[in-house]
Amino acid sequence: MRTRIRYIVPLALVALTTAACGESGSSGTGGGADTTQASGNACAPVPGDQLVVLEDDQGLQNADNLIPAVNAAAAEANPALVPALDAVSEALTLEALGNLNVAVDVERQSPEDAAAAWVEENVDTGGLEQGSGEIVVGGGNFSEPTILANIYADVLEAAGFSATVQPTGNRELYLPALQRGEIQVHPEYLATVTEFLEGDEATQVASSDVDETVAALTPLAEEAGLVFGEPSDAANQNAFAVTREFADDLGVTTLSELADACGDGSLVLGGPGECPTRPFCQPGLEDTYGLDFAGFQEFDAGGPLTKAAIQQGEVSIGLVFTTDGSVAQ
Amino acid sequence: MELLAVDAAPNPWFDPSYVTSNWDTIMGHLGEHVRLTVGAVVLGSLLALPLAVLARRSRWLAGPVLGLSTLVYTIPSLAMFAFVAPITGLTTTTVLIGLVLYSLVVLVRNFLAGLQAVPADVREAARGMGYGSGRLFWQVELPLAVPAFMAGLRIATVSTVALVTVGVIVGHGGLGQLITGGFNANFYRAPIVTGALGCVLLALLADLLLAGAERLLTPWTRRAAT
Repeated sequence: MRTRIRYIVPLALVALTTAACGESGSSGTGGGADTTQASGNACAPVPGDQLVVLEDDQGLQNADNLIPAVNAAAAEANPALVPALDAVSEALTLEALGNLNVAVDVERQSPEDAAAAWVEENVDTGGLEQGSGEIVVGGGNFSEPTILANIYADVLEAAGFSATVQPTGNRELYLPALQRGEIQVHPEYLATVTEFLEGDEATQVASSDVDETVAALTPLAEEAGLVFGEPSDAANQNAFAVTREFADDLGVTTLSELADACGDGSLVLGGPGECPTRPFCQPGLEDTYGLDFAGFQEFDAGGPLTKAAIQQGEVSIGLVFTTDGSVAQ
Repeated sequence: MELLAVDAAPNPWFDPSYVTSNWDTIMGHLGEHVRLTVGAVVLGSLLALPLAVLARRSRWLAGPVLGLSTLVYTIPSLAMFAFVAPITGLTTTTVLIGLVLYSLVVLVRNFLAGLQAVPADVREAARGMGYGSGRLFWQVELPLAVPAFMAGLRIATVSTVALVTVGVIVGHGGLGQLITGGFNANFYRAPIVTGALGCVLLALLADLLLAGAERLLTPWTRRAAT
């Protein structure tokens, strides 16, 4: 009940406020770009149906490639475990992951079906080293890790294991469970998990370079009782989207151009609650690009609330993900 | 520059084909929801009864017992599961512990009210007839307190059905898995509605069953009415 309220209240607010904002916003754009620039209101939200992602031209985002996280004891006891997961990483491209997300989030296939079909077509399960025993794969509670967990489970089944998928929640809860061996495998994001294991928010060990980040992760994982497989080419990174109308009015296609155009501090950012404190969200945009925000509004992490808020002119720019099911590649 | 396509597949609120094609998944979550609810209310009752008896014994004990159960209820449910999870892991036990603790505030109060409402003269009469304290409790006080007990059970059950959904943070939220799953799958409405309606129907059904049980357990209340 309480979780529902958490979602429903902001949703209702979006619905309520947009009823009013749609009017005022559209009349604002009717006035043209010239007048808005002069009024110190150049980067106020502009509603529009189509969203465009501004290019991360200075490489703010880290190498958040999908990588299998494995309990060290389980990996040691089952030598066939990590190679089977590596076979998934080898076949998984950003395009494939985007398509899988589209299949589930847009075409509404079940994660199980989408995963099974992809494994059938893309992973040579016949050549896998064989193992045995029960493996529990944690699947998060978002489509993408759930799809990945199902893919891992399918491939592990093909490799002789008896694999089940268990939904999990936040990293703060599932990673300790993985360390304790309650679950044996969980899909992870390279840079995020590296920073999580490193613990200290002040120091950055992950970067936009995959190999360097893996090198930083390896000793941290060993310390934590975890083993990581090979990273895939598919990276789920933060991206920042605006409406097409907003981008056209200002003539911007990159975040650097946005920073040049929006020096008057009228830019409103939308994203998950942790955005104002996470280095790859608001602080990163401010430090790397010199963006100056008039305010921040809390929605979800690249989900329907954030996207609706951008479209309906609640915020100028909002956080989305590169592997979003609704991102056309 | 990437384009975000907005022409999503049809996403109706009510989609019978979603229910039929995901029947096994839905039944799995429903089963977990029912098991957690029944487990929490049964365990909660088993804990609440001795606590209520203890609280009735002296006013001195009633304060701390009621105060503590109320205090526990004020802990936000998300925080509660997060506190318990490091000890019991990502299991249904984690959710069960939270639900049992939350059910106590309703159950202890109602059980206590029921016991306190037993008329003193009835108790006197039973003692005069030679009832010992054990027999007095089981054969006189407990049956007379049944209406208040059942009222407590019904409230606790309905609120537990709703609270189970918060268990999603450890991956065991019963029908709540469908609700958050729908939100986190690009706002897929069919599972959200299925989960929410399932919760409402489950709560109504449980309330109806308990109301029926109450009627069966207290035939004298109807005899007196007619």
